[in-house]
Amino acid sequence: MKDLLVVKDLKTWFPIKSGIIQRTTGYVKAVDGISFNVCRGETFGLVGESGSGKTTAARSILRLIEPIAGEVYFEGASVTKAKRRELRKLRRRIQIIFQDPYASLDPRQTVNSMLMETMKIHGVAASRSEAQGRAIELLYTVGLSEEHLYRFPHEFSGGQRQRVAVARVLAVNPEFIMLDEPTSFLDVSVQAKVLNLLKELQNKLNLTYMFISHNLAVVHHMSNRVGVMYLGKIVELADKDAVYHLPKHPYTFHLMAAIPLPDPEAQKKDVLLMGDVPSPVDIPPGCRFHPRCPYVTDRCKKEEPPLYEEKGHFVACHYDIDFESGEVKSER
Amino acid sequence: MKKVGTEARTGEWAARWADFKYTIFLMRKNPLVMLGSIIAIFFIALSLLATFIVDPNLATPRGYGGSYPFERSYVWSEGHIINWGPGIALYDGPEFFYLGTDRWGRDLLAMIILAIPVDMENAVIIVVGASIFGTLLGALAGYIGGVLDEAILRITDIFLAFPALVLALVFAAMLGRSIPTLRLALLLVWWPPYVRLMRGQILSEKGKTYVEALRALGAGHLRVLFRHIIPNSIYPILVQATLDFGGVILTFSALMFLGFSPTPSLPELGNLAAVGYGHMFDAPWLIIFPGLTMLLIALAFNLVGDGLRDVLDPRLRR
Amino acid sequence: MKEKELILEVKDLKLDFRTYRGMVKALNGVYLNLYKGEVLGLVGESGCGKSVTALTIINLLPENAEILGGQILLNGENLLEKSKNEIRNIRAKEIASVFQDPMTFLNPVLTIGTQLRETFMLNTDSLKQAVTAQRPKGKAITYLDFLSLKKQSSNKPHKSNKVPRGEVKKMAKTLCLDVLRIVRLPDPERILRQYPFELSGGMRQRCMIAMALARKPSIFIADEITTAVDVTIQAQILQLMRELRDVIEASTLMITHDLSVAAEIADRVAVMYGGNTVEVASTREIFRNPLHPYTQMLMKAIPNIAKPVKKLASIPGIVPDLIDPPPGCRFHLRCPYVMPVCQGEFPTIKEVKEDHEVACYLY
Repeated sequence: MKDLLVVKDLKTWFPIKSGIIQRTTGYVKAVDGISFNVCRGETFGLVGESGSGKTTAARSILRLIEPIAGEVYFEGASVTKAKRRELRKLRRRIQIIFQDPYASLDPRQTVNSMLMETMKIHGVAASRSEAQGRAIELLYTVGLSEEHLYRFPHEFSGGQRQRVAVARVLAVNPEFIMLDEPTSFLDVSVQAKVLNLLKELQNKLNLTYMFISHNLAVVHHMSNRVGVMYLGKIVELADKDAVYHLPKHPYTFHLMAAIPLPDPEAQKKDVLLMGDVPSPVDIPPGCRFHPRCPYVTDRCKKEEPPLYEEKGHFVACHYDIDFESGEVKSER
Repeated sequence: MKKVGTEARTGEWAARWADFKYTIFLMRKNPLVMLGSIIAIFFIALSLLATFIVDPNLATPRGYGGSYPFERSYVWSEGHIINWGPGIALYDGPEFFYLGTDRWGRDLLAMIILAIPVDMENAVIIVVGASIFGTLLGALAGYIGGVLDEAILRITDIFLAFPALVLALVFAAMLGRSIPTLRLALLLVWWPPYVRLMRGQILSEKGKTYVEALRALGAGHLRVLFRHIIPNSIYPILVQATLDFGGVILTFSALMFLGFSPTPSLPELGNLAAVGYGHMFDAPWLIIFPGLTMLLIALAFNLVGDGLRDVLDPRLRR
Repeated sequence: MKEKELILEVKDLKLDFRTYRGMVKALNGVYLNLYKGEVLGLVGESGCGKSVTALTIINLLPENAEILGGQILLNGENLLEKSKNEIRNIRAKEIASVFQDPMTFLNPVLTIGTQLRETFMLNTDSLKQAVTAQRPKGKAITYLDFLSLKKQSSNKPHKSNKVPRGEVKKMAKTLCLDVLRIVRLPDPERILRQYPFELSGGMRQRCMIAMALARKPSIFIADEITTAVDVTIQAQILQLMRELRDVIEASTLMITHDLSVAAEIADRVAVMYGGNTVEVASTREIFRNPLHPYTQMLMKAIPNIAKPVKKLASIPGIVPDLIDPPPGCRFHLRCPYVMPVCQGEFPTIKEVKEDHEVACYLY
């Protein structure tokens, strides 16, 4: 599979300014060096809790927030170094769907106006009538209809708004869509429909997705490979079943154990990760997870583990642990 | 989908019209606002039709052969001298004067009606001018930020440091006493609040997701600012402009009252009040009625502005 | 089978909202039974009326709400017939509610300690009692003792007026620390001095639970308390709720749209749709054997990592418009088993199997 998106050591830091002259006293290291590749046609899932940096990562890749270091390549072309004009062309090929369907649409624009405008920005349609026809086509593609053309966002339900967002994104024939918590605000049944739509579109239009969510079950359903982020770094990356059922990183293990299952008779795993989700202002030395890790050692406190690779399964932990028994098998 | 409005709309304008109708509906719910609107519309109509309703001759001085008719064209021309001679407080003539007359036999009602368009025109010019200027500056300051933002803010602060009337007096004294210069003086006083207002709106809109979405779609800064952010930020400006309408009329009148009027016979409510001030005890109507009219106009627009503020608040809609 | 005591009963609750576009028929006959010491999960999607039901119980409805009928029986007394003052008392003393967003619930300008103490001080009588009870013993009263005090107070008239205010305040502070420990907040002394914005989301949520506990409620209403928090924190909070249930015997109404959360923590589950209760059963039963078509389809629409599918089952159609709802059963337009009778009257909820009620004409 060809690599469509390549991310190398991406870093996004936000300066903390304090004092009367607003000196930079520190940095919020939201994204602190992540690397991964996404192949054409696959769905790459990125999970993590609040403070993990996944949302910032998504925006940094698209340069909606400017990263301070690292590279992003889209089919060989550099995104991080692209100038305005090239960036605009790239924006046609890489799109994003946001989390909040209530906020991502301009409340004063009708659906028609949104679609036409998008097409106009990229010069997709030759004439106004062609654009109009395409707009109607797009609505049908996402499961809406012509009667929705001249409505304002507030007249739609959440699920419908997300569909409008999808239609808008499809208007320019993108190749890659970043999905930032697209169904978090939606009801379960609506979510099912939107997810089905996304999968269908992926097959029909050969799209590549990056799916970011804190809802682990949804990510599992949608993705092929999954990366787990913690405090700005990827701590584990592998095929989805490997990550969910055979995790190698203690954090991933506890994360997966915390997922509530819709089955009251399921075996309750007696593991509970104590402590709070940390904030990226105050990153612990050594392994970022060590303050909460039940298997912490001295090495963990001093040495930050790199992303070790074991047959396509990446994990940032010094030890190979058997979580069932709790025994540490070996050291990397 | 909701039942109401399920019919497919025929176009963009149909959609916007439905939106407008909803706004009107919300306005109707508040009786004070309705009252204010009716009064405001009344005055607007009056100002448009003033010259047709009132026979300017009614406002000409009697007792001197009507040689100096009280017309607007008269006021704009230079070099006319009025013969102030000993006057009569009341005119005992054949016509009935609803509001009485002044010492030269000019019908007060006629003068007030002729004065209203002058005030309204002033108010419109000043408010529109100040708001457009202030809004644009504020938008640029808010959106671009950085040094430009700081510069604009500082300049605005300087203006805001002075009370409006004082500043207006200073400008009036500097610029001279004709109508255009007085308007300029007030314009210069009135634009700063809009900068602050717009800047605040822009700053809060700038961070919203839909702006981010638009940038992600590839929209350029100009498009985002003028086609999306500004239209979404315009509501408080509208409210402020409506409220300012009354404020401008009052301030302009105050200037006239304080003696900045270019000529004593300028048909302007403040001017009339100023002239009437001298006769407060023997002919109180000369100051009461112009004052009352000013009050009514300001009140009407205040009510409308207040109502608009409640109606246009996006959180209370829908 | 333990004899279960019915604490809260909602019978045929009907409610409308007046809006610009018409009357929103939000509740169309809601039935709920909350037994002592259990957690009842109230599950449904947005618009089904679960939050509205909770708000009706504690009488915090917006102005444009109109209750059309039904009863809310708390220990046998109908809450709908009580005056505003009585309801306020009940809200303070019997029913504690915890909502989704703790940031909007907590006062940002007061420290946690102040707010918590204030909440305890709402119950001055009990505090005075606690002080009097403590005096002879000499050892500190814990929150659990404080709880049990309540049950005695209704019988004896209090001669506790002689308790000085200072002692009451000290008792309140002791209880504050204890209750913070119960909700597993680390370093309670420090937390008392902090402001809400200094705490993380999970900690705030726990403070809210602490404040709710401070009122010694017999009923806990938790409205979507795990929706806004991360998975690991959610697991901690659910664990806390489990512990509380066992220790305090509070009856909890757990409102959530997440069936998995209900599976984790509820003893019984009530499913709502379009303003009606459509199915009620024990958690085991309802997951093993959902009877109502909506419940069945809802279960299939959730992605389950243990049982992955290629395509999630979705429910055709959209959520009903409550201004002009479909006649009869509000689900019938989307139901694969629809029959002509479904368009007539709404099917009353009835017990179809032991301890399993459904509102559907299929049964």
